Amino acid sequence: MMMQTMRIKRFSLLDRGFHFFLILTFLIQTATGFSRLFLPTTWGKKLNAVLGGYETSIFIHKWVGVLMILGFILHTLYLLTRIDWKNLGTSLFGPDSLIPNIHDAKHLWQRILWFFGIGPRPKMGRWAYWEKFDYWAVYWGMPLLAITGVMLMYPIIASNYVPGWTLNIAVLLHRAEAILAVSYIFIVHFYVGHLRPSSFPMNEAMFAGSIPMEELEDEKPAWLEQLKNEGKLETAKVTPPSPLYKVIYFVFGYTALGFGVYLLINGIIYSRYITLH
Amino acid sequence: MRNSIYISKTIVWIMPLILLALLLFPVPSFGRGEEVASYINRYKQYEVSTGYYEQYEVRPRHQSPLVRKFRGVDREPFAYSSTSASIRNRNHLADSHRAIKFYDNRRCEECHINETRDIHTVRANMTCRQCHGPEPIASIDHYYSPMNPIRRHAYICSKCHEGASASFATYVIHEPAAGALSTKTSFPALYYSYWFMLILLAGTLAFFIPHSILMGVRELFGKRKERTGDDDADDAH
Repeated sequence: MMMQTMRIKRFSLLDRGFHFFLILTFLIQTATGFSRLFLPTTWGKKLNAVLGGYETSIFIHKWVGVLMILGFILHTLYLLTRIDWKNLGTSLFGPDSLIPNIHDAKHLWQRILWFFGIGPRPKMGRWAYWEKFDYWAVYWGMPLLAITGVMLMYPIIASNYVPGWTLNIAVLLHRAEAILAVSYIFIVHFYVGHLRPSSFPMNEAMFAGSIPMEELEDEKPAWLEQLKNEGKLETAKVTPPSPLYKVIYFVFGYTALGFGVYLLINGIIYSRYITLH
Repeated sequence: MRNSIYISKTIVWIMPLILLALLLFPVPSFGRGEEVASYINRYKQYEVSTGYYEQYEVRPRHQSPLVRKFRGVDREPFAYSSTSASIRNRNHLADSHRAIKFYDNRRCEECHINETRDIHTVRANMTCRQCHGPEPIASIDHYYSPMNPIRRHAYICSKCHEGASASFATYVIHEPAAGALSTKTSFPALYYSYWFMLILLAGTLAFFIPHSILMGVRELFGKRKERTGDDDADDAH
């Protein structure tokens, strides 16, 4: 009998739930948003028709946006409950924290040297610097998209609080930030998660909730060392996901990837027909 | 530990209460900027809710983001004439197209092509006449023009946007090109927002795309090396 690979827990069920929620809402927002942004083009018109037309697509976009904001608020509340208020310093700046620190800058420099073969591979901890960037990028993107989105959703009320011309700026910021988020997710995040050699065909951590021991030794040796030192390695061991669950998340992951790439390629093709404002 | 749970629980209870309180607060109206005496405050609410305006005017042009600079002909090295400045500036005429040759046979977009590319025209398929009205079309700043900023919200915007206020009417329908250098002087907020976002977008991708490619290439070489090492080991056996 073949020995099963030992796996170490990386994400809780709630973490994965938040990620899954973000995938679904982000894809819906991209599709409905692009169908409006590219409306002057033939592709935009077809996409808009598939999503129910001019009025329906914006209706979906608005209310899924509200859902996204609620999810973001809930996640922030969850984040606050995860802070160990008694040991605030360690909790915020320790090795398990997602807050960027001096080690991230050091790892970035070491990694650049490693890219060109002039230095050893940096020993990453629990969170790599690009993973921290992925996480905190949501924290600048979401408030910007949420505030400008709500302003555009209720322009009359918004103009009671701020001058009406700020709606011009809101349109620009909403579109530019959305294009930035879409470009980053569909190019960088998908590449790092699915296509780079050590992840291909898919980095399963966010769906399975765990990573194989080999991956931990290879990618995150500092975290492995930390788990050993803290005596938490044994408790972090989990069983591998069932084959059926694996099939489900592979199909889902590749559907999301395919849909994202479809939107990205068409967006690039038709980008010359649209403006940011 | 108990302290930590207590603080966490407090946050979980307090945050929804704050959100609920924000929802229940009355809607402020300081952004609207209308000059109204306090005794007609109740009337103002009626107007906002119905889109029907009368009795008083609003403060004119106080919130426009556009920095308007009309180049005076007299400042040019070779002025047309001593009085030509007032003729070239058509922003205060009762008929803004007065004295334009063959005007009857022309279409708006022949001269105002850039004004046909905004969201109102492209998305809502609106025509020029729906806002600017029938001939003779008065200049925007002519005192009796319905497009004059002192009454635009009531006569024009409210036709579609029920309850539009003077503040709302400062939305710039025909936006200048956000990245153009001329926009830096005419609509600075739009110009700087545009370039900030463009630099952020280009900067993020310019860093992370090469970073990801290099990561992939390096990992590929690493794997190849490992494989070659294994093969060599196999050969040795």
